Amino acid sequence: MTEIKQHPPETPAEDTSWEAEIQRVGFIRRILMARRWYGADWWFVSISAVMVVGFIVVALFPGLFAPYSPDALVGPRFLAPGQHPEIPILIVPQDSSITSLKDMAAPEGQIQPSIAVVQGVPTAGALNEQAQAIDNQIKNEPEGLRLRPRIERFTSLEETLQAVVDGKAQAAVVQSTEFERVSAQFPTLREGTSITGQTATAGGFILGTNDIGQDVLSRLLWGTRVAIIIGFSASIVALVLGVPLGLLAGFIGGSFDRLLSLVMDSLYAFPGLILAIAITAVLGPSILNVIVAISVLYIPTYYRIVRGQTLSVKEEIYVEAAQSIGARSLEILRLYIFPNVIPSVAIIFSVNVADAILTGAGLSFLGLGLPPTIADWGIDLARGQRFIQTAWWMITFPGLAIMLIVLAFSMMGEGLTEIFNPKLRER
Amino acid sequence: MPEDILYSVRNLTVEYQTRAGAVRAVDDVSLDIRRGEILGLVGESGCGKSTLGKALMRLHTGPASITGGELWFDGRDLMKLPLNEMPDVRGAEIGMVFQDPMTSLNPIQRILDHLTETIHTHEPETSDAAARSRAEELAERLGIRRERLSEYPHQMSGGMRQRVMISLALALRTKLLIADEPTTSLDVIVEAKFLDLLQELQKEFGLTILLITHNIGVVAEVADRVAVMYAAKMAEVGDVNDVFGDSKHPYTQGLLKSVPNIRMGENELYKMEGAPPSLLHPPSGCRFHPRCPFVMDVCHTQEPAFEPVVGDHLASCLLYQKAGVKQESLNG
Repeated sequence: MTEIKQHPPETPAEDTSWEAEIQRVGFIRRILMARRWYGADWWFVSISAVMVVGFIVVALFPGLFAPYSPDALVGPRFLAPGQHPEIPILIVPQDSSITSLKDMAAPEGQIQPSIAVVQGVPTAGALNEQAQAIDNQIKNEPEGLRLRPRIERFTSLEETLQAVVDGKAQAAVVQSTEFERVSAQFPTLREGTSITGQTATAGGFILGTNDIGQDVLSRLLWGTRVAIIIGFSASIVALVLGVPLGLLAGFIGGSFDRLLSLVMDSLYAFPGLILAIAITAVLGPSILNVIVAISVLYIPTYYRIVRGQTLSVKEEIYVEAAQSIGARSLEILRLYIFPNVIPSVAIIFSVNVADAILTGAGLSFLGLGLPPTIADWGIDLARGQRFIQTAWWMITFPGLAIMLIVLAFSMMGEGLTEIFNPKLRER
Repeated sequence: MPEDILYSVRNLTVEYQTRAGAVRAVDDVSLDIRRGEILGLVGESGCGKSTLGKALMRLHTGPASITGGELWFDGRDLMKLPLNEMPDVRGAEIGMVFQDPMTSLNPIQRILDHLTETIHTHEPETSDAAARSRAEELAERLGIRRERLSEYPHQMSGGMRQRVMISLALALRTKLLIADEPTTSLDVIVEAKFLDLLQELQKEFGLTILLITHNIGVVAEVADRVAVMYAAKMAEVGDVNDVFGDSKHPYTQGLLKSVPNIRMGENELYKMEGAPPSLLHPPSGCRFHPRCPFVMDVCHTQEPAFEPVVGDHLASCLLYQKAGVKQESLNG
């Protein structure tokens, strides 16, 4: 002890004195000094903790981070990350006074303008959305103007533009790049402003868009919520069922223990994903069913660990001593066995969350877990797999997200193991 | 039952169910524990001392079970009590101190919580503050400073923990304290202090103590009376001076001769012939006959009765009994 006092804890301590030193510092210090004492790097723990916290924050408030709604068809299809999307712009006759969509508003009751668009191109959707937004904005103003354009669809770009030239429509909405290509053929037309102004797609699509024009980043962020919900719920359900069963089986023993262990070992013997597939195939796709399937999968993990620990703690003399002072079975279970068993449960839990996320993603990748309307990484992976040669970003980013979240939880579990159970440290 | 006897064990049999068959670890043992005495229970390892100690509280679980006998404690037969009422007796009226103080405390519970829990278990109406002050008082009486009560067991030394164990056993109005080899894992200085403490407690609280040990020196030092067990049977019981000064049973004599003495020369230490018998197949007749230096023919076939030799001094040896006269019902 005296030797330790001469060295402040910052200098490398003797290998033999770390156990004495650990008693004298606080929790934060323990984490910071983890490497020396437990062989765990402090950054290892902190990085994983930051990652886990980050994932949880994103899962709680995906709307704050995601630029678009995960289901909205917000842009062109297959837009690569960083590539700028085409902007739908207004095309009007040279002599028209109209420059922006808002100029086309007409007073209530009068004939609304007709606008030409090309069939099957997302411009129509964008136009509709934008017109509605402007209408909502101006309808309460004193001028009494409304904007409810009739949208005329044409089969090709040329026909659409020709409709404006012919006066069938007051204006057309086409993609900016497409108009540049053909503008020489229509000298009487000119470009107006972008119909969206500088709003919706101004930020572009950082991670690109998928095969139906959804934003990959937004789906990724919203998918975090599903992953976290499944990971935590399934692990908690498995814990809540597995731990008491393990405690009881270990404590009561006898034929109850044998029967339960037989059931649990049978569950355990099944290959995990196959069992989960079987359960979800029977129950049908929904988040709840995925949680049920995965928790059934992990109950035996908790059961086996807790039962084994209970068996060994039960034989400890302090349990017998507790009986000798008149403690009843329930008290012994609650005060003596449970608290001595719970540290190992906390560690399995963290690793288990990672595992559950992986299994959940696996299930929805196979199309069994979740309804396809939900933003989920597994579903995105399965979708991206079909376009792996043309749109690498569709499969890469969900894959990376799964990898990172699993890594974060596993790393944290490992780090916590070493901090809470210093005796496990390899010497 | 006479008023001066606190605990009267009558024909107690405890069996362990093993794969090889039932093993009688305590076989038809009768023993009286008198009020306010320290009774030493000695014998070799595996002779059934600890099993007997646990049986007094009906603490057996798993393969062991009490298969016969009566346990008269303070005027009632504990064997007639339903097992789920035994926790009311344990801790409240009979306390126990275990062999290894290093492992007999819950490692994740503070010392104070151990004590208050014991009090609350038996007296749920006691307030936290009252239980706390009682625990502190008791601990202080046993030489544990107040501020150390908030520590965890691993922060205490073996002697300290053993004192904590005693304070747990005494937290309520305990009448009988069963100490199962309480000094085995302590060094001699701590052991001496511990034995002093036991004697003080006996005088101060009028405590009755059953001291289970294989250390004959300890028994000679503190016990009022001594009981010697051999191969699941009671061999000899009597006043400590009578038993150690004028042993009747050849086993006790051998045991006493085996205790090393500072005045002995080299190679002078007595070694008893043979080894303790297997309890699965105990020898016929007297269980000690294969090792007995005074063996007679009758010893092979007849079991000796456990009866007085002189006054209160009982022994089960045919040397003092008329062969063939006392055919006890043990065989039946």
